[in-house]
Amino acid sequence: MTGVRGKQAVLWTIVIVNLVALAAPTLVILGASFTTGNIITFPPEGFSLRWYGKVFGSVALRDAFLRSLWVSLVCTLIAVPAGTLAALALARYRIRFANALQLYLLLPFTVPLIGAGMGMLMLFGEMGILGSLWPVGLACCVINLPFMIWAVLASVNALDADLENAAANCGAPPLHAFCTVTLPAVAPGIITGALLMFVLAFNEFLVSLLLTDANTVTLPVSIYNSIRNIITPDLAAVSVVYILVATTVIWLLDHFVGLETFLKSK
Amino acid sequence: MRLIAVLDALEALRAALWPRAFRRFTGAVFLLPAVALVFILVAGLAWMGDASLRLLDTETFEVSEAYTLANYGQIAGQATYWIVLGRSVVGATIVTAVALMLAFPYAYVMVRTRSAWTRKLLLVSLFLPFFIGQVVRAYGWLIVLGREGLLNTFFGTFGIGPFRMIYNYPSVLFGLVQYLLPFAVLLIAPAITAIDEEVELASESLGAHWLRTFRHVTLPLAKPGLVAAGLVVFTLALTDYAMPVILGGGTNDFIANAVYDAFFRISDSGLGSAVAIVLVLIATLLAGIILTVLGAGTLGFSEDRR
Repeated sequence: MTGVRGKQAVLWTIVIVNLVALAAPTLVILGASFTTGNIITFPPEGFSLRWYGKVFGSVALRDAFLRSLWVSLVCTLIAVPAGTLAALALARYRIRFANALQLYLLLPFTVPLIGAGMGMLMLFGEMGILGSLWPVGLACCVINLPFMIWAVLASVNALDADLENAAANCGAPPLHAFCTVTLPAVAPGIITGALLMFVLAFNEFLVSLLLTDANTVTLPVSIYNSIRNIITPDLAAVSVVYILVATTVIWLLDHFVGLETFLKSK
Repeated sequence: MRLIAVLDALEALRAALWPRAFRRFTGAVFLLPAVALVFILVAGLAWMGDASLRLLDTETFEVSEAYTLANYGQIAGQATYWIVLGRSVVGATIVTAVALMLAFPYAYVMVRTRSAWTRKLLLVSLFLPFFIGQVVRAYGWLIVLGREGLLNTFFGTFGIGPFRMIYNYPSVLFGLVQYLLPFAVLLIAPAITAIDEEVELASESLGAHWLRTFRHVTLPLAKPGLVAAGLVVFTLALTDYAMPVILGGGTNDFIANAVYDAFFRISDSGLGSAVAIVLVLIATLLAGIILTVLGAGTLGFSEDRR
């Protein structure tokens, strides 16, 4: 025997520690959001949807939510074409200085967010476009772009280039081959990337904090501002919006692509 | 059939706008939007680099025309910045070690389990916090660890406490580990998938204890994943803003908080830029060294990533 039981026991102990740490904030927020009391206590006092009512009635929060949606949409709409084309180019075309370009395209990952955010704040300020929402979406797209390229690349690499060559051999002009062979095969990667870009922009805190002002606060910033004052259950109810959005995105990912694709080695 | 007609029309348009002779430029044109997007970041950094070399006149609030290294000199001469830097580096190192130790078994079980249901559960548990965002998660921890929070109420029923579990260094590190766990697991998992399970079985059938197999077979083969995960976790922890500010409550600032304060509290854009540039240089240098010495691991874009 080589201690299979011991192995399973040790591994699962660590997995359970992980699971508790990963799930605790979500579960606690869910629990706290249903309290009837004015402050968060344990165990929660009673059960009510009172704080949800308050949150839905708040114009400021609803506006912040809509702004966050808009920012995420702008981010996704820019990232999908830019990231998809870049991934196709990296995988399918001979590029000069390909290695240097790859490092360059990884810059958003290696440059610290505070540096990227402050730099864009100064740049956007100079260009006079601060105060609008779309630059926030653009900034979110820039800092997360490698995720999009990555997601599409995984699909392109999984597609046998001979299929595209076969289409060309059978007389399909480039655009035909692209739309009928490449695009359908790459679609799962595009969907994954789009969902990632959307949800990451929806969550993005620091860049939002830097690039928004009192009139353009997004939801994460608005939650952050309230945390600093007092912790009341209405914040927990707002946070549930995030749990709902995250759950929806996970469901979509699993439905269209399958979460298991993230385990594959590319 | 209609699709074909549309495609034919588009094809004709393409042929007119992009003749065969241009085809060797197609790759470059495809890359252009992404390169332009990243250039926004590069331009912002350049702008900041320029600002970091100018001195702010505290009386007129105007920046100097001439370039000077005075801002960098001020950083080097101030003990606070060295303390903050030390705290960030030590913190990021601890967070990376703990996160990798927790993430590796999780990724291993997730990849190797025979039960599709278990795998799904582990995946969903990972993606849910990943997609919920830092602020909301930090807020959740405030409810759990706060003075009147879940844990202190629990301890109170035994007549002990309340303990101070937030606004200190360990709480910041704890928050960072939890925030970065999904990144670590998702970067390690593909490397474990790439390991043929029979290699492990061979080691065990030759009589190696599972810990030895782990140490001498699984871990070395999973190196690309560990390198990528370690690099991402370390840089994200080193440069984080939200956890130190929310769970540290201003008592345990990291470098990003110092940058923010220089810009928005002291209102000195030159000094703030200089601190930010120092942080960018440290992070880029570290990433560069690790990437050249150990390779991009599962992080790279190219196919030959092992």
